[in-house]
Amino acid sequence: MVMGVMEGSDALHPSQGMREVDKQFLAAPVKSAVDKFQLVPEFIKVRGLVKEHLDSFNYFITTDIKKIVEANNFVRCTFDDKVYLRYLKVSVGKPSVVKDGITDEMNPQQCRLGEMTYSAPICVDIEYCNGSYGHIVHPQVKKGVVIGRMPIMLRSSHCVLFGKDEEELAKLGECPLDPGGYFVVKGNEKVILIQEQLSKNRIIIDKDKKGCIQASIMSSTSMTKAKTTLVMEKEKIYLNLNSFTSKVPIMVVMKAMGMETDQEVVQMLGRDPQYAALLLPSMEDCSNLGIYTRKQALAFLDKKHRKWNNSNNSNNRKDDGGALGVLRDIFIATIQVKDDDFHRKCAYVVVMLRRMMDAYLNKDALDDKDYIGNKRLELSGTLMALLFEDLFKTMNTGLVAYSDNLLNKSSRSTKFDISQHISREDITNGLERSLSTGNWNLARFKMDKKGATQIVSRLSFIAAYGYMTKISPQFEKSRKVSGPRALQPSQWGMLCPCDTPEGEQCGLVKNLSLMTHVTTDEEEGPIITLCTNLGVEDLSLLSGEELHSPSSYLIMLNGSILGKHRRPQLFATSMRKLRRAGKISDFVSVHVNEKQRCVYIASDGGRVCRPLVIADNGVSRIKHHHMKELKDGIRNFDSFLREGLIEYLDVNEENNTLIALYEGEATSDTTHIEIEPFTILGVCAGLIPFPHHNQSPRNTYQCAMGKQAMGNIAYNQLCRMDTLIYLLVYPQRPLLTTRTIELVGYDKLGAGQNATVAVMSYSGYDIEDAIVMNKSSLDRGFGRCIVMKRHTAVYQKYANTSEQFSTPSRAPHDRERNQLLDNDGLASPGEIIRHQDLYFQKLVPENANISVNAHPSNIKYRPSRQTYKGAEGEAAVVDRVALCSDKRNNLSVKFMIRHTRRPEVGDKFSSRHGQKGVCGTIVQQEDFPFSERGICPDLIMNPHGFPSRMTVGKMIELLGSKAGVSCGRFHFGSAFGEPSGHADKVEDISATLVKHGFCYNGKDFLYSGITGTPLQAYIFMGPIYYQKLKHMVMDKMHARGMGPRQLITRQPTEGRSKNGGLRVGEMERDCLIAYGASNLIYERLMISSDPFEVQVCRKCGLLGYENHKTKAKVCSTCKNGDNISSMKLPYACKLLFQEIQSMNIVPKLTLADS
Amino acid sequence: MEGASYQRFPKVKIRELKDDYAKFELRETDASMANALRRVMIAEVPTIAIDLVEIEVNSSVLGDEFIAHRLGLIPLTSERAMSMRFSRDCDACDGDGQCEFCSVEFHLRAKCINDQTLDVTSKDLYSSDHTVVPVDFSDSSSGFENPEDQRGITIVKLRKGQELRLRAIARKGIGKDHAKWSPAATVTFMYEPEIHINEEMMETLSLEEKTSVVESSPTKVFGINPHTQQVEVVDPEAYTYDDEVLKKVEAMGKPGLVEIYAKEDSFIFTVESTGAVKASQLLLNAIEVLKQKLDAVRLSEDTVEGDDQFGELGAHMRGGG
Repeated sequence: MVMGVMEGSDALHPSQGMREVDKQFLAAPVKSAVDKFQLVPEFIKVRGLVKEHLDSFNYFITTDIKKIVEANNFVRCTFDDKVYLRYLKVSVGKPSVVKDGITDEMNPQQCRLGEMTYSAPICVDIEYCNGSYGHIVHPQVKKGVVIGRMPIMLRSSHCVLFGKDEEELAKLGECPLDPGGYFVVKGNEKVILIQEQLSKNRIIIDKDKKGCIQASIMSSTSMTKAKTTLVMEKEKIYLNLNSFTSKVPIMVVMKAMGMETDQEVVQMLGRDPQYAALLLPSMEDCSNLGIYTRKQALAFLDKKHRKWNNSNNSNNRKDDGGALGVLRDIFIATIQVKDDDFHRKCAYVVVMLRRMMDAYLNKDALDDKDYIGNKRLELSGTLMALLFEDLFKTMNTGLVAYSDNLLNKSSRSTKFDISQHISREDITNGLERSLSTGNWNLARFKMDKKGATQIVSRLSFIAAYGYMTKISPQFEKSRKVSGPRALQPSQWGMLCPCDTPEGEQCGLVKNLSLMTHVTTDEEEGPIITLCTNLGVEDLSLLSGEELHSPSSYLIMLNGSILGKHRRPQLFATSMRKLRRAGKISDFVSVHVNEKQRCVYIASDGGRVCRPLVIADNGVSRIKHHHMKELKDGIRNFDSFLREGLIEYLDVNEENNTLIALYEGEATSDTTHIEIEPFTILGVCAGLIPFPHHNQSPRNTYQCAMGKQAMGNIAYNQLCRMDTLIYLLVYPQRPLLTTRTIELVGYDKLGAGQNATVAVMSYSGYDIEDAIVMNKSSLDRGFGRCIVMKRHTAVYQKYANTSEQFSTPSRAPHDRERNQLLDNDGLASPGEIIRHQDLYFQKLVPENANISVNAHPSNIKYRPSRQTYKGAEGEAAVVDRVALCSDKRNNLSVKFMIRHTRRPEVGDKFSSRHGQKGVCGTIVQQEDFPFSERGICPDLIMNPHGFPSRMTVGKMIELLGSKAGVSCGRFHFGSAFGEPSGHADKVEDISATLVKHGFCYNGKDFLYSGITGTPLQAYIFMGPIYYQKLKHMVMDKMHARGMGPRQLITRQPTEGRSKNGGLRVGEMERDCLIAYGASNLIYERLMISSDPFEVQVCRKCGLLGYENHKTKAKVCSTCKNGDNISSMKLPYACKLLFQEIQSMNIVPKLTLADS
Repeated sequence: MEGASYQRFPKVKIRELKDDYAKFELRETDASMANALRRVMIAEVPTIAIDLVEIEVNSSVLGDEFIAHRLGLIPLTSERAMSMRFSRDCDACDGDGQCEFCSVEFHLRAKCINDQTLDVTSKDLYSSDHTVVPVDFSDSSSGFENPEDQRGITIVKLRKGQELRLRAIARKGIGKDHAKWSPAATVTFMYEPEIHINEEMMETLSLEEKTSVVESSPTKVFGINPHTQQVEVVDPEAYTYDDEVLKKVEAMGKPGLVEIYAKEDSFIFTVESTGAVKASQLLLNAIEVLKQKLDAVRLSEDTVEGDDQFGELGAHMRGGG
């Protein structure tokens, strides 16, 4: 991709360039930069931020599902072939719930609260014939048969939220800022992550492990999925195919496909003798094998053909026709062979050969696997389609098997009706299971994916967004290669350069940029017709020699050869013109590859693309009046697209363009102009003000931390019943905003507060990034947060009984314990609840397996209680109590328990620049420094945080916010926004500061609050947006003296949740040994762990015992108590001896006098 | 060791005085004195604030403790605070803080019955004591243009059907314990600057240079007399000790053109009150509290604790006993 201004060429030919430009200047209207920013919000408005998910799912549910059903629409019984069933039509209805036989409309919020799946029925029209023992029966038609339930993606075209405005959404209990794009499965919000893959049906030339050049193609059709590889090993070229037991010389394959003479192959390869020379060793190899005819070649291949021993497979491949069948159906399956005409396939192989040889002659011709243009993103629709297809086929085979079984029976009581036996559970459960576990285990498609779905974490609003744009990698993380992790230049504008996790997943997990769109599959038929009309010579009409004739270019559509064209540039331009005119889809990409002498047309799904403004000879097509019309609401984004002012380009087509960043930088060669540069960042990186002034990893850290910041989750946050919700009591919108913040809605659902920060050293409790906080600020609500935890209780149902409500006793001695409980045994909302308080009580039948006949009064119950486990000494409040039925239809009670916390020493805070720190100490306001205006900071940050981190953006944020508060205008800090006015310049900010009586550099003259004397230096002070992160000491601090022990080893338990001990591990032990602190080791490893007194027999060295009653010490081996000594050793040690003894090994203790 | 007398007689000159704002000069004393006064005003002048809330009904969107926190931060008129008892050492009620000597009871009842959102504000708080009421900003001079619009401090907003009913008890306290008891919104002081312009040197400058000197200060400290075209000090107190003028003068190659010193013994105080106590009263109360604290120090003169607590300072106060 070429970016920016072509300064070089202009400088070389100044006179020529000038003349050209001059002409245009005279012809074109006065050139002034048009502010195209308004397009971004417009784009977001029509598209939403997760359009790729919605589009993909919509495509599946409206188009793809029909294709799948149509492809497998006929089911015939093997027992009686008169019995059949044909699917005529399929459609997905509106989301609904069936309860007690009544179908009811349903909305997502109900599903979240009621632990249901948000799904819609899949209805089919069927035609079926029950055929009755030779009688001819007319086929019957049934309409609207439900074959299963399809989970519906929120905000998709089938969702009840589709097209609703804010008020209607509020009525449905939905947050208008929520992007949708996820599913609600059993009450959990699940998102299908975008999966990154190497593109299918494309030739990829690269090197294998041994350094041999190979051409591989992953062919995937609706029938088969196979990888074909051509390898060049020691100058000879072989074919590697799974169906063959070993590699096969390529010339043999060519001969088997009917190209019997070497001349034909060489001719197809092109006239250049160097290609023929490269093929020579392969030809020799073939003749050495003595293969000259097609018959011989096929016989040779038949021997290599892998026989499938598996009975299952041999059944399916009954008619595979040996090696010829493999060549026909599996070898480059994308090219379909009709009537044994292998011409197309041969041509394709030759093209692959030629590309390999190009790569051999010139290393630059190798393909880059990490290049985004060679990748496809698989979205929820594609994955759901695969899953549905598999389940649908399973259902049909199940139907056949069941019908066969029934028909096989000699006597049947009821009339056979095939339509009755369509199982709805298969599809419903299959879809639900895969969505909730994330396992896409489809044997049919050789697919075994784990972790394809994730729960949408509602830690913060931004975290939820982050899940929608996350792309999970194709490689396993263990690989220690840098290639796929590196930032790709082709990523520009498509994938966010900042947003990636740290650690092992670094660079592999990526996130989409703001304006990225992912395509869905497009019909190929019209494009082929169009190409032919535009003068593409069909491949079948070409002779072998013409294939690589230098005068024309190959035309490839979605990886297969369409034909040739003599004027490729003209062809590409006309295709693009047609696309801009709307004759073909916006997302069809046309790109001319001069090196490969090919024109690639792509209409397949999963390509990433983005909108760009079209420029003619460097003059933007968007003029001022267009933007004005947009402002007046006459236009929208779609009309810009329709009128050919804007178009979507994918990564490959970008290679044919010259994109100017700004209109002013465009030259006569420029073909496109960026809409706004900050759209190269994603949602999470878009929150950072002035990210282009920061050191790059800082932005990456912030992308990870923004997801942990507490704030508002959604407008419906108080109606949600999540397991854990973190909220901020007084969230604010950042004083220094960015355009992305406004577009995403972060200004409405903020996660932080504008704190006045003084950058200075104070008290010594601020080392290692710790911050000093002002106690009065905390008193007034700074950093105060609410933690809501869900506690659940269930009334279990048994065969004939069930657990019952219980009225708590109000007797004097019980009153205190039961004071939180209402008469139904549930804690009532608003009650203050402390550690160990009772919040739930029920009656459990003492005998669950009671007989049906038992009189209700005879069933005995005992009470069962649940107590609250929270931090000791803290008071929480029962916020809400909700009753609903759970998955097993038991009555379940959910308690939301709310705990309000003020910041304490050790809580974690962070600014928006990857600068996290814990609260080091809390200081009284009067001790804090103050300015003569009376300004006193909310927190003090140590200046040592700056030099090594180089977060200049944070300093500019401080300046900008300070100017913002003084003049009363929100300042902006969008990425790269200074030239276009979306970020305030430091000069302007300083001028504003000076205007309001501050120093231009943001430094203030402060007095010490302790002594009242002026501080030695001017202090850099102003507001910075601070986030409180979810890590709080209260949830982490842990200490124990005595406590619970494990049952078998009698050692202290492990982990905070079990009130466990702190382990002196091996390394700590080593230190103590090295130091010689033997008594400490003795104490830590035995006395405070698991001391145990044992009786040891000095004679046999085995353990004896002490008779509890007689106090006599006996050795059970020696049968006497003569030589018993008692000693202490760790219980675990004693256990080890006994375990060893059980294996018939005798451990003996030899005692010495101490 | 004979203690010399450090006694001085500070002078106070009041420049500006409003109910909630005061500006005065404090002269002939040092920073320790000025800072002590500032610290006491912020943290130790007692006021009354809501400390205990009993919620009867709360069906609003905000949680109980959320509302309680908001109630606590509402400033209450606290002229009585100095004479009131702290509930922890109130004999009448054994320190449980429910008696008239140490507490004031408030009631709030609000229910929204129509479709319009109801703002529950500090005006809906009914006090059992007419001397202790939520601060009313509507009639203050610095307030709002239309007193009708000003309905006090919003506590919570209710929609139709929501209700809030509670009983709140206000107690005396100091800002050190919680910021809600702090009577001061802003207490700050600055050293009085002393600005000398070297007139002779200034005469050598052109008008342009003079303006550049004047404009180098971010605040309006200097001005040019339109008649004499001389640089003069317009407002010395606008100077923020930013050194910009000095740097400018240095850069012009005329060091000593302007010289600025801070007067070590002269302070200009700005006090803004939350409305709980009048600004003037705040100062007087602060002095009173400061006196009490010094008395406490003096009373513990002979005790061993006194020595432990104050160490050398104690010995010093006793005049080298």
